[in-house]
Amino acid sequence: MVQFFKSLPFHINTACKNLIRHFVMTLSASSAVMVTLILLAAFLMIAGNIEGFANHIEDEIRIHAVLSEDIALEEQIAESQRLIEAIDGVKEAEFSDKDHELALWIAEKGEVFSIYEGETNPLHNAFFISVSDPNQIQAITEEIIALDFVDDAMYGGNSISQMVSMINTIRTGIVVFVVLLGMLAIFLISNTIKMGIYSRANEISIMRNVGATNLFIKMPFVFEGMLMGLFGSVIPCILTYFGYRQLYTSMGGRLFSNVFSFQPISPFVFQIMGILIIGGMLVGMIGSFISTTRYLHWKR
Amino acid sequence: MILLENVSKSFKNGVHALRDVNLYIEEGEFVYIIGPTGSGKSTLIKLLDGELIPTTGRVVVAGTDVGNLRHSRVPLYRRNIGVIFQDYRLLPELTVFENIAFALQVIGMDKVTIRHRVREVLELVSLEDKAKSFPRELSGGQQQRATIGRAIANQPRVLIADEPTGNLDPEKSQEIMGLLEKINLEENTTILMVTHDANLVDMNKKRTIALEEGFVVADIQKGGYIRHD
Repeated sequence: MVQFFKSLPFHINTACKNLIRHFVMTLSASSAVMVTLILLAAFLMIAGNIEGFANHIEDEIRIHAVLSEDIALEEQIAESQRLIEAIDGVKEAEFSDKDHELALWIAEKGEVFSIYEGETNPLHNAFFISVSDPNQIQAITEEIIALDFVDDAMYGGNSISQMVSMINTIRTGIVVFVVLLGMLAIFLISNTIKMGIYSRANEISIMRNVGATNLFIKMPFVFEGMLMGLFGSVIPCILTYFGYRQLYTSMGGRLFSNVFSFQPISPFVFQIMGILIIGGMLVGMIGSFISTTRYLHWKR
Repeated sequence: MILLENVSKSFKNGVHALRDVNLYIEEGEFVYIIGPTGSGKSTLIKLLDGELIPTTGRVVVAGTDVGNLRHSRVPLYRRNIGVIFQDYRLLPELTVFENIAFALQVIGMDKVTIRHRVREVLELVSLEDKAKSFPRELSGGQQQRATIGRAIANQPRVLIADEPTGNLDPEKSQEIMGLLEKINLEENTTILMVTHDANLVDMNKKRTIALEEGFVVADIQKGGYIRHD
């Protein structure tokens, strides 16, 4: 271990020399990393915010189940609550008596309806039901309607849940794209490293001859790959930092409504930048590891 | 020090490079390996330094069963063995001092020890005044001495010289020979020298092992070059 740290300057020095020696290849490999990371940044920004949106939306999406007129006694209500909560995927059923229902109605439709207050209230008792998985909401609603003590059930925010699923599709698409681009970046880096290996074949054969360990021979190349990844992550980081700031301030921190409020700039942007830097270096490391291991194991 | 027991090596293309070779070389011996091209000399060297694994039989060097080494242990084993090539293989962008130091650097020796040992080696191979020269500024003989210096820098127990005088004139060859004998004596290094040079072998008679078509056809103490007509 001590020896490892002692030889670090040697490895880093060699890595830097190689980077300069193969400047064009380094540039192309770094750009591949760069493009990958820009997409990764976009993905992370979208994904991070959707996570926030989704949490809000989940709270918004509730099923409104109106009970039959004859469900009025306390034990009947408790029994129906128990039955509803027993349905798979139901998180919670919140009781709303008919006076409360009318109050909501008045709040939404206007004061004219206040004439129905009291004995003449035509509304029924109801439940507000929240679900654990918004994707299940339709199925659960149907199940609730099927219950004999429920008159009707409906959920608002159909368009919202469609939007969530649409954004999710986009998210999957970006993931696939990022993975493919990441593989391309690894391929390009491993090819660049391979060039470095061949141009130093003489040196490596001497190293092997005098008994340098495989790890020792690999280290400069691994550093080289990591540096390439690091260079590739610089521009994506800058873009992320200024891009997200710009987006955040120009939109006032939210999209349409408070339901879609953006993640605050700090620490969100810095978390993404951290992921980009680590991701770039990781891609570089994997790429160089693949080509050096292949080269070194080809011979004994 | 070196033991080969019923060693055979054949390749996928059907070539039998070595056939049932039995050899024992003691510590501190100086041995010539002679034989025509294709007789298995290179294969023998590669078996000894762990690059190849024998098809059958056992190769034991300094107590290590070379054929059974794991891939990752080969480098550590190789520190016991110095190899010298006909074409020197010095790194052109490094000075003589740096070339020798490189061999010690890559096995993780610390700087002070390296500097000390390189000076010692330079003195042994009589290149003290060429320490700061680059390989291209040296004559063939000097380059070969630098290579020898690099090979013995970490005090290997066995030194394998693959045609070390192949590119040198007789005078320079004799000089290299003298240096190898000095290393053999002073550092008690076991030396295996593969050569074609009949004059050299005749002038400096030592144990001579002759290979032909993969067989050991002769093994003579103080033999001199063997000719087949």
